[in-house]
Order: sequence, then C-alpha cells, then structure tokens
Amino acid sequence: MRPVRIALFIAALGAAQAQAGVFDDEEARRQVTDLRVKTEARFDQQAKGQLDLASQIQRQADEISRLRGQIETLNYELETAKKRQQDFYLDLDTRLRKFETADSANATVNPENGANSKPAADPARETQEYEAALNQFKAGKYKEAAAGFGAYVQKYPASSLAPNAQYWLGNAWYAQRDCKRAIEAQSVVTTKYADSAKAPDAWLAIATCQQEMGNPTGVKRSLETVIAKYPTAPAADAARDRLKKK
Amino acid sequence: MKMNAMSPLFRFIFLPFFLFTVGIAQAQLSIEITGAGANRIPVTIVDFPGDPASSRIITSTVRADLERSGLFKLVDHNNLAFDENAPINHADWKSRGADALAAGSIARSADGRMEARFRLYDTQKGVSLGGAAYVTNSAQLRAAGHRIADFIYEKLTGEKGVFSTRIAYVVKARGQFLLQIADSDGQNAATALTSTEPIISPVWSPDGGRLAYVSFEKKKPVIYVHSLASGQRQIVANFKGSNSAPGWSPDGRKLAVVLSKDGFSQLYSVNADGSGLQRIIQSSGIDTEPRYSADGSTIYFTSDRGGSPQVYQVGASGGDVRRVTFEGSYNVSPRPSPDGKNLAFISRREGRFQLAVMDLATRQVQVVSDSNKDESPSFAPNSRMILIATEIGGRGVLSAVSSDGRIKQRLSVAAGDVREPAWGPYYQ
Amino acid sequence: MKKLLIPALLSAILVGCSTTPLPEDSNGAPVESRSGTGTGIASVTAGGVDANGLPRELTDPKSKLSQRSIYFDLDKYEVKDEYKDLVAAHAKYLSANKGFKVLLQGNTDERGSREYNLSLGQKRAEAVKRSLTLLGVSEAQIESVSLGEEKPKDAGHDEAAWSQNRRADILYKGADGRGEF
Repeated sequence: MRPVRIALFIAALGAAQAQAGVFDDEEARRQVTDLRVKTEARFDQQAKGQLDLASQIQRQADEISRLRGQIETLNYELETAKKRQQDFYLDLDTRLRKFETADSANATVNPENGANSKPAADPARETQEYEAALNQFKAGKYKEAAAGFGAYVQKYPASSLAPNAQYWLGNAWYAQRDCKRAIEAQSVVTTKYADSAKAPDAWLAIATCQQEMGNPTGVKRSLETVIAKYPTAPAADAARDRLKKK
Repeated sequence: MKMNAMSPLFRFIFLPFFLFTVGIAQAQLSIEITGAGANRIPVTIVDFPGDPASSRIITSTVRADLERSGLFKLVDHNNLAFDENAPINHADWKSRGADALAAGSIARSADGRMEARFRLYDTQKGVSLGGAAYVTNSAQLRAAGHRIADFIYEKLTGEKGVFSTRIAYVVKARGQFLLQIADSDGQNAATALTSTEPIISPVWSPDGGRLAYVSFEKKKPVIYVHSLASGQRQIVANFKGSNSAPGWSPDGRKLAVVLSKDGFSQLYSVNADGSGLQRIIQSSGIDTEPRYSADGSTIYFTSDRGGSPQVYQVGASGGDVRRVTFEGSYNVSPRPSPDGKNLAFISRREGRFQLAVMDLATRQVQVVSDSNKDESPSFAPNSRMILIATEIGGRGVLSAVSSDGRIKQRLSVAAGDVREPAWGPYYQ
Repeated sequence: MKKLLIPALLSAILVGCSTTPLPEDSNGAPVESRSGTGTGIASVTAGGVDANGLPRELTDPKSKLSQRSIYFDLDKYEVKDEYKDLVAAHAKYLSANKGFKVLLQGNTDERGSREYNLSLGQKRAEAVKRSLTLLGVSEAQIESVSLGEEKPKDAGHDEAAWSQNRRADILYKGADGRGEF
C-alpha cells in the first residue's frame, strides 16, 4: 500500500508541475496576443483618425467650393441687376425728357422769353448732341459721355436739357469712380438749376459720393437738405429711407 | 457665257483616297429629317444629260443635300434633262414655283476621268448666278455632287455650305469600338480604328488630316493623334494618371489637354507631337473639356470650382478665370462656334440633359433640343448646325440641330450605338 | 482588424506557404521570395498564388484584402466610413509589401458628360489614393486613373445599376510584374 501511495504522490506532483508549465506558456501567448491586439487597435485608431481628418478637410474644401459658387452667382446677379437698373433709369429719363422738351418748346413761342437767349438756338441740334452723350453713357463709355455732357452745358447753359446734362455729367464722373468731380458737377445742379426736377436727385447723388468718401456728416446734411427743400419729391422719400437705415 | 470661260479657280480635282480601312456595312449611318426651317427656298435641280447612271448619282446627291439642310424646298423637275448651256425659260420655272434652277452635264474624257459641269440660275431675275466644272471619276461622283450642292447653298443663302465636310464618331457594336469617318450625309463610312476598349472624345485637327482622341487600350485613358491618310498614331499624352479631353488650337500646332498627373484633372497645353507640356491654370477641383475659341485667344472649359460643374473661360495661356454659365446646377461640354458668336453646351434641366446655345453677346441661353440625354456637341464649320450624341429608344444616335433649334436631323446606325460625334472642318 | 488576422493566419497555415518580403537587394529594388514548405498538401500549395500570380491573401474570398471595391454616393468622392477599415487593411498590406503596386480605377454612372465623368472618376480614385498615402503607403506604389462611365460593372439604366458603377477598384501587381494590370 505504502509504495503505491508514494508512487501516486510522485505522479500527482509531476502532473501539477507539468500543468504549471502549460499555464505559463498560455499566459505568455495570451499576453503577446493582447499586446498585438492593443497595438493594432492603436494603429487602427490612429488610421481612423487620419482618415476622418482627411474626410473633414475634403468636406471643408467642398464647402469652400460651394461658397465660391454662391459668390460667383451673387456677383453675376448684382451685375445684371445694376445693368437692368441703369437701363430702366435711362429709359425713364428719355421718356420724361420728351415732356420737358415739349414744355420748353411751348415756352419759347413767347417772343419776350427769347429776348436774351443766344442767337437762334437750333433745338434739333441741341437734342442731337445731348442724345449722343447719353448714348455714350448707355454704352458704358463714361469718359466720352462726360466730355459730351461737359461740352453741352458749356454750349447751352440755358437749354431746357442743361440741368439733365449737368446731372448726367455728375453720373458720368461717378461711373469713373471720380467722386470729387461727381460732387462738383452735382453741386452745379443743386445751385444753378435748383428749381429743376433733377436737383433733388443730384442731392441724393452727392450723398452717395459722400458716403463713399467716408463723410457721414456730409451724407446726413445732404439727405436732410433734400427732405427740407423738396419734401414731396420721390428723392425725399429715398432720403428718408436712407436716414432711417443709419 | 461658255463654261470653259470660267475661272480655273473653280476647278477641283478629286484624288482617290487611300485613307481608310474598309468600312463595316452594317455601320452605315442613315439620316432622317425631323424638322425644317420656316422659309425654305424653292429650287429645281434638273437631270444632267449624259451617262444616266452617273447623272443620277450626282443630281440625287445634290437634291438630298439641299433638302436635308432644311433651308430648301425641292420643286419637281418633271424628269426634264438639259445642260448648263441650254436656254432657260425663266418665266415658266417661276410659274412652277422655283426661285432658282440648276442644270448641268457630265462628260467622260478619254482617260476615264469625268467632268461635271453645272450652272445656277435665278429665275426671278432671269440671270445666271454662276457655275463650275469639277473633274472627278466614277468613284467620286457623290463628292462632286456635294461640291455642287455647296456652290448652290452658298449662292442662295450667302453662307458656306458644309456638304463636302466629313464627320467622325464612335460606334459600339458587338463589344467593339469603331472610330469611323463618314461624309456629312453619313455615306462612305470608313473605320479608322477598331478597339476592344473604349474610344472617346475625337476632335479634328483644323486641317482635317488628323484626329486627336482618347483611347483606353492601355487600361487607362491616353491621348493619341491619328493621321488619317497614313493610319499612323502617335501618343501625345500618357502621363501617370488619366489623360483626356483634347482640344486643338485653331492653328493646329497645340492641343489643350486634361491630365491628372498631379492629382485632380487639370488643364495643360501640349504640342501636337507631345512635346512642350505647359500648365494653363491650377485649381483644387476638376477642370476639364477645354476648347479654344475660334480666334485662339481664350479657352472655354468645365470646372466644379464653384461646387457644381459650370462653364468657365480663361486666357489661352492662363490668367483670370471668368464664369460663363449661371442657370442650373450642371452645365458642361462647352463648344464655341467657329464664327465666335455662340457657345453650345449641355445643360441639365429637371433631370434632362439638353443641348443649349448661348448668344455670347447678350448671354441669352436657349435650349435647342427636345431629347433627354444629349452629349458631346460639335459645330459644323459654318456654325449653323450642331451635331450631338443622344439616345432614342434606348439606342445611341446622332442628331444635328440648327443653332436656332428649328432644323433637326437624326443619324443612326442599324446595328449599334453611335456616340462621340465630331464635325470636321471645311474640305481642303 | 482582429477579424482580418484570424483568416489571414488560418490561410497561411492551411496554404503552408508564406510570402515573405526580403530586405531590398543591392540595386534597391524590392525582392520577394515565395516558398512552399512541403507539408504534403500539394494541391493547396499550388493555390498559393492565383492565376494572376498574386498571393492568396489578396484573392481568397475569406481575406478582407480580396475586397477591392469602394462605393460612392451620387456626385460624391468621399470615402465613406464603412470603407475605412477596408482601405486601412490595404494600406497595411502595401506598407508591409513594398514590392506590390496598385492601380486605382475610378468609375461613375452613365449620366452626364463622358469627359466630366472621367474627371469625377479620377476624383474618386484620388480620394482612395489620399487615404492610402495618409496611412503610410508610398506614392510610388500607387497610380490612380479613371475609367469614367466607359466600363460599367452593371450595364443597366436604373439606380441599382448606377450605384454599382459609382465605384473605385483596387488592382494589384506584384514585383515580378504579374498581377491584375
């Protein structure tokens, strides 16, 4: 019995030892695997981070493109609107002018009125010269238009179209981004032709130039003048609007 | 006036062509007219005395050309045949409704060559509008007919005719891609290149002797220039990445191309022999489909720099970029007209891809087609008609539309899809 | 990645063949050697490379690397989240096997201009290329090209077909010049 017990004991001991060896190996293997999984997980996480960042950059580039497209469209629409407004204004001016010249034609019938006018003005020729300058303006040739209107007001200061010509002279300077000369020209409308239909508009134009030149007190003064002097003119309404926006 | 008193400038000699390999019969284009101009000029072409078979080929070609253009109405010639020197009863033809009349003859010379002579008359005024004599041979009778039709077209409309021009297009049939060249009426189709891989974007050199195109035979897009007479092909651009969208400069010395060697598709110019590569502009997105304006000063192209594909314009050697199209979210494939007045492009409207034409002076845009899947517009050299690829009943066909949208013709191939049309330059 | 490891290991054991990148030779050109270990499973050993001469792990359906297509949304060229693991797996393989090259082919659906679609396909290929290089793959191992709408995988004309065709494919080539392109 005893030797059997001993033998059993030894066998059990051996088995235990062997078992311990197996556990050691498995543990090491598990740890290695763990480490590898962890490293790979870290790599994967980094990779994912990189890719996410790249996607984000791409999305932002797309967004910038979209915004660029919007700016392109808005600029185009602004340009088109500007042109349409100019066409509309010129059209209106041409139509109004027909009434104004009809009035002045009636006036010159009176011989007393013609007493101090220059020798035999040729209304057809006058109109032609005015028209030519206006066409230059319409075609966007502002330099030529300015020269044309300038010559016109020199030649026919008393013409019924002179206030209009003076007003368009101011606009032609403004279109060339010369605010100083534009104000000079419009100031002639507001003083010399203060009673003309163009005078309130000239004040508005002066205000616009002053705005661009960074002269807010001037803007305010000009707009208030329009309202005070020509309270019923459409320009006065525009002036009130602009003052409100401030 | 006798015909032989006419200027020798009007004499043309048709040399035989050794240009092409034999065309595939099933790939012959057939033409169908689906719309015509509002005011068509009534004209009569009488039969030409002489060899009846030859006469028939020439006069039927002239009549078909004029009719197809949509600008002429053929007045019955009552089977009458008389030559260019016969006296004309103008009042009689006027009363039959013909404003103009052409008569002619065919003479065979001892060496087998033929001479087709004709004269055009204005029956309203009772005067001759001139005539011409073309030396030809029995194989080139149709070509002589096209020359006569061009003469009549020019005299009566005031603009050059395009009947003698050729068109190039790609046919996909039975798993093969055929780059074909045909006369402007779809006849005489010949295959310049056969490939198992796609061929796209053929464009004619301004002299009409070469085609530039993109072939996928190297498993990626590569640009070739192909001399039609010799069949010789030269690689113009095979850089890393994709090489595509060739567009000839008007002097035929350079090509604007699109390369992706530095990332996205970008515009470059390269000499026709592949040398002298230069970058035109740079963007962070797609720039493609470059086309020189007729004067060579600017390039129209498609770009997605604004978030959606739109047509832009840039100086031929770079500089400021200007956007050209604004309506809609997909405007591609810009093609300036040879007369510089219009820009044709493809516009997506409510899910339909349609041919649109912009008047470059007023920027007004008009959709001129009524199909849904228009692609690859190409102007005729006289700027009047635009050839497009489109789809009818699930099959690729070509369609020619006048730039005002009034006149429409359809060209289809019996056994296959036709696509990627390119209208060649004037006959030289 | 864990998922990938097991089939890769399994196939390496089963195949009994290993693809071992060797240090670059004196000319600086990458060299590869393939050897059978003679396990006696001859038929499997023969399958160590596929018909194109590529190692099984690139073509075995059980391997993640056999997935070569990345699908895109309409008019988009952003690699979607669901494909990031796939791209990372190819990046890891290419980084470890510098002798291998890939051709990235971008594709689009049939709608719209052929040339514009060619550029759109290029953008898709380019997006995959950028992802690979970000993950450490050398630029010299990659060429990105476009097939545009010219080589549709599905020839149909509906959304089901189109979604199959808005795609970038990864094609492999070994140092010996054998492969899929």
